[in-house]
Amino acid sequence: MSRISRRQLLTGLGAAGCISFSGQIPGLWRRAMLDAAESGKSAERILVLVQLAGGNDGLNTLVPFTNDVYYRERPAVAIARDRVLKLNDRCGLHPAMGEFRRLYDEGRLAIVEGVGYPQPDRSHFRSMDIWQSAHPSATDFRDGWIGRSLDREFQRDAGSSESLALGTDRTPLSLLSQTRAVPAIEDFQQYRITGAALASGSTRRPLEKLAAESSGTSELDFIRRGLIGALETADRLGQLGDRNSSLEAFPATGMGRKLQTVAGLIAADFPARVYFVSLDGFDTHAQQLAGHQALLAELSDAVGAFAKELDAHRRSDQVVLLTFSEFGRRVAENGSLGTDHGAASVLFALTPPGHGGFHGTPPSFDKLDDGDLIHTVDFRSVYATVLDRWLGIPSREILAGEFAPVPFLPG
Amino acid sequence: MTASPLSPADWSEARSWGVAPAAHLLRRLQTGYRPEELRRVMDEGPEQTVDRLLTEHPEDPSIGPAIASLEQTALATGQIDSLRAAWLLGMTTPVNPLREKLTLMWHNHFATSYGKVKSLELMRRQIDLFRRHAWGNFGALLHEVSRDPAMLVWLDGNSNRKRHPNENYARELMELFSLGVGNYTERDIQEAARAFSGWHMRHGDYWFNSLQHDDSEKTVFGKTGRFDGDEVVDLCLEQDACSRFVASRLLQTFVHPRPPEEWTTAVAEDLRQETFELRPVLRRLFLSSAFFSSEARNSLIKSPVEFVLGSTTLLGVAIRWPETLRLLASLGQNVYEPPSVKGWEGQRNWVTSTTLMLRTQFIADLVQTNQYGVASPSKLLESADLSGVLAIILGSDSPQLLASVREQMSGLAKPDQKQRLTLLMQLPEYHLY
Repeated sequence: MSRISRRQLLTGLGAAGCISFSGQIPGLWRRAMLDAAESGKSAERILVLVQLAGGNDGLNTLVPFTNDVYYRERPAVAIARDRVLKLNDRCGLHPAMGEFRRLYDEGRLAIVEGVGYPQPDRSHFRSMDIWQSAHPSATDFRDGWIGRSLDREFQRDAGSSESLALGTDRTPLSLLSQTRAVPAIEDFQQYRITGAALASGSTRRPLEKLAAESSGTSELDFIRRGLIGALETADRLGQLGDRNSSLEAFPATGMGRKLQTVAGLIAADFPARVYFVSLDGFDTHAQQLAGHQALLAELSDAVGAFAKELDAHRRSDQVVLLTFSEFGRRVAENGSLGTDHGAASVLFALTPPGHGGFHGTPPSFDKLDDGDLIHTVDFRSVYATVLDRWLGIPSREILAGEFAPVPFLPG
Repeated sequence: MTASPLSPADWSEARSWGVAPAAHLLRRLQTGYRPEELRRVMDEGPEQTVDRLLTEHPEDPSIGPAIASLEQTALATGQIDSLRAAWLLGMTTPVNPLREKLTLMWHNHFATSYGKVKSLELMRRQIDLFRRHAWGNFGALLHEVSRDPAMLVWLDGNSNRKRHPNENYARELMELFSLGVGNYTERDIQEAARAFSGWHMRHGDYWFNSLQHDDSEKTVFGKTGRFDGDEVVDLCLEQDACSRFVASRLLQTFVHPRPPEEWTTAVAEDLRQETFELRPVLRRLFLSSAFFSSEARNSLIKSPVEFVLGSTTLLGVAIRWPETLRLLASLGQNVYEPPSVKGWEGQRNWVTSTTLMLRTQFIADLVQTNQYGVASPSKLLESADLSGVLAIILGSDSPQLLASVREQMSGLAKPDQKQRLTLLMQLPEYHLY
């Protein structure tokens, strides 16, 4: 039985950047896990980014159930006090988030309140670009905070395993690099080259030669590097095999399948340090109660299963999962049983056991900015925490400034 | 003083009109072309070609009925895919290729998705609107889009009521349709939203609901009046940012992904002088030194539609639509369903390892199997003259590229026509135009 070693995996990924997954990988972890055990290398730390696209309503996610302003401003869309999954005497989770509640009780759900940035932008696109680039004042967004981080690591040690996997149908800005093409996989099943596809090896060899030489920034260099990265990744995934084998049951939802794939890859020691998945639909302008409940249930159940799967593979100490969204919603509901674009919101991190709990400062309801919550924690402080304390990448360079850490990860 | 980027390209001196500039023009102005069309453009020269492409011609009687029948099928069965096929078929028909390319550009600019509109008829009417104004007046287009029924559904027109203004259309009008971020304030949006209140849709048509229209005073861009939606559109058109925004759209679609500042300035100025009449502006742009400059050549990455339909047209493939539409969706360009109101960002965003893999596999399947339809390649593609074939497929007369391709060909054990085509169309260069 031929096995690929971790070393081969890492070598193979060499020049590749990010890899995007949203499909399900039919269990490729089992064999590779054996190999990881064989190789005896210590596990890398991994970050999973979960984008909640559309602007998640933080106030109906982490509900301030003793706050009169909340109930006064939201006569129709507030979550009733007696339905809230209370975490303390001030706030609690939306009733659909039972799994988050469990993780909180186990001390592995960190909750950061009041996250935002100065002069918040209420355009989905610009605000999402700001979050993903971590450049609030930029006008042209060329790269992302993760893309820059991994570029830096790549330049430091081109042989290191500084690649990522993502989970959307295209490369999100967070992961975009100015210098490297970022391979992205949408569906594992599509990621193949069948027998007659390439005219011959003779197409590939010159391509490899050109790709090795193309360090430029032209579109042609970009395509050359992308093509060769894609071919290498296809080779490696082809070698990984094809058996499905999650240990835990994952919900049959989009997010469930994506996190199942990510868990499988992590267990398989796939050499990515950052994975990115997205859950869309949080732009709840109208009739928000039912839709928002379904989204939060999808998120909570999928993350719950993901945590169990990590436990089953003894990988819980290796992985941090972080949610983010471009903005929260306004404090007051609108006239369509929904909420409009707001500012500061809450984010969650699945941490190694023992690091959960509340962080940040709850935003004030007495002092609002044009009806919106004012942030108490800059989102770049959260990023700085992840970069400095988790990935070991100096945040100062990446974020172009000093941001005080939020202690949801060990210092 | 340096020459304007819009001054006509000079064909008298160093670089004469020939296969490379002709291919460049053809590749930029059409979604795809048959090998014979390149010869025609070389013979006609740039001016005659551009004038021909900027003129509306009667539909091809051999294709027209096929398009009409696909549309009928779509409306009768509710299958959006038939509507997609009808449009894509039109794009590859050599009668009005530029008009269709511009129609797709406006679909991207005013990106409206069937996913929310959920009406084939409204979507078809909106695309027809873009087609009518393809190279018409941008101002007229912006006015009509503002009361287009599909747009009213897409950006919640009916929710915009006197007491409860909905900002969705006002915001996108400024951010994505006419000005761009940074050229308006949140206040401008809130005020403009009130001007559009009562612009509703009823029975599939625009309807001015006067009871829900707020006709009190608004202040937009520092001007105050009892504005209605049309007046707000005019205020947007008056902003300097508007001509620059439209200029960027034209340049990014046809010339360069990151056009130099002075190109944008020149096109913006031209748009203002022509009061947003697009045809003369496009004509000057397509004949300009900037358009044919070396920076512009091969600077754009083919969209999925350009890559796939460009390939099927090149090989004379009678397209199998279900497979082709599925592929286009996987490659990230499902027409009638742009990913968001921002449209397709395009260029490097088309490129992921998945899409490169799919494109590579597609070329092999297209040339070597009938999966996407039966090919009938022109004799021109089977010519023994490799440099001629290279010019047709890659629009290149570069000796270096020719040498590199010859070297790769020599690695093929027994190169047959199919292998040769596969190799050429799998080159990194083929993804550019």
